[in-house]
Amino acid sequence: MSDNFEQFIQQNRAAFEQPGPSPRIWDALEKELGQQKKGRVVSMLSSNWFKAAVIALLIINAGILFLFIKHKQHQQNDLALMLPEMQEAQFYYSSRIEARLDSIRTYPAAEIGLDSAAMRELELKNDTYQMLEKELKNNPGNERIRAAIIRYYQLKLDLLDKILEELEAKHATPGDLKKRYEEKI
Amino acid sequence: MKASENNLNQTPLAENVVDRCKKGDVRAFREIYDAYSAAMYNICLRMTNQVSDAEDVLQEAFIQVYRSIGKLEKDASLTAWIKRIVVNHCLNYLRRKKVYFEEVGEVEVSEEQGLDEAQFSYTVAAVKSAITALPTGYRTVLNLYLFENYSHKEIADMLGISESTAKTQYMRAKEKVRQIVNQQNIMN
Repeated sequence: MSDNFEQFIQQNRAAFEQPGPSPRIWDALEKELGQQKKGRVVSMLSSNWFKAAVIALLIINAGILFLFIKHKQHQQNDLALMLPEMQEAQFYYSSRIEARLDSIRTYPAAEIGLDSAAMRELELKNDTYQMLEKELKNNPGNERIRAAIIRYYQLKLDLLDKILEELEAKHATPGDLKKRYEEKI
Repeated sequence: MKASENNLNQTPLAENVVDRCKKGDVRAFREIYDAYSAAMYNICLRMTNQVSDAEDVLQEAFIQVYRSIGKLEKDASLTAWIKRIVVNHCLNYLRRKKVYFEEVGEVEVSEEQGLDEAQFSYTVAAVKSAITALPTGYRTVLNLYLFENYSHKEIADMLGISESTAKTQYMRAKEKVRQIVNQQNIMN
């Protein structure tokens, strides 16, 4: 049951209220929200960097194809066998790319954050690779095709290294970090 | 409407303002701020007892409102939700100031035990001044019950104390206010 004191408060409730806050509170809030919006964009970019990297890879693939088609007319129809150094390079890069892909596949799909189409694009023998390989078989002596394939390998290897680095950093325990540091030194 | 919402007389908001705010519309957030900031500022002022701290707490609380509004469920009360965020920020402020809400023994404080209210009159100024002079723990419990209309059970949950302690603290706080007002009456 309300006593006199409680009744007094209830009856005079409005008289206990003060005017609202100073306008500078909104100004400070607005500034803070502006900074948070920028922060959100940066964090969205960083959380989607895998997707950005795959898109970059797709653009590079398209660029390689474009260069390849553009210079097709200059191909030397050299019927020589595939050069041994090219076979070596193919072995060198493809074994490294496959090893990195195997490591990436050990992470759950949700952690990798790529859909199936993007994952297919990361595979070694994607459409770009198959087209370049076919052309190399038909024109084994063509310098431009060989250079395009080597460039394709290097770019793919770099991208996979970055993806792995990011995944390992996300999942590294202090023990892992220490081990990695000791390995480095 | 819950009891804790019924003392907030804010401007009515457009129907879609929450949805717009959820999409990051700062103008919609401004509408929410304009509707609630005065009432929420008063809560902060009562709880912190200082203008500059009340402003800081209010700002922090509204940043959280903006950040978390996406989590507000469709049928939930915006008023109760904002008020709870503000009260929680006030309580965090008090914890940072090392104010502890300790359990007290089961001491019955009878409403009749105190002063005879018939002997003196209350004025808004005298009551305001008496509440401001209360120890922080008492003031907090009194404000939450009397001005923010939370039940003893809700206050107990917020402060991590038992319901009986919340009730006892409130009775003691009320008695203390009466004593201070009485002293002021005598002096005047």
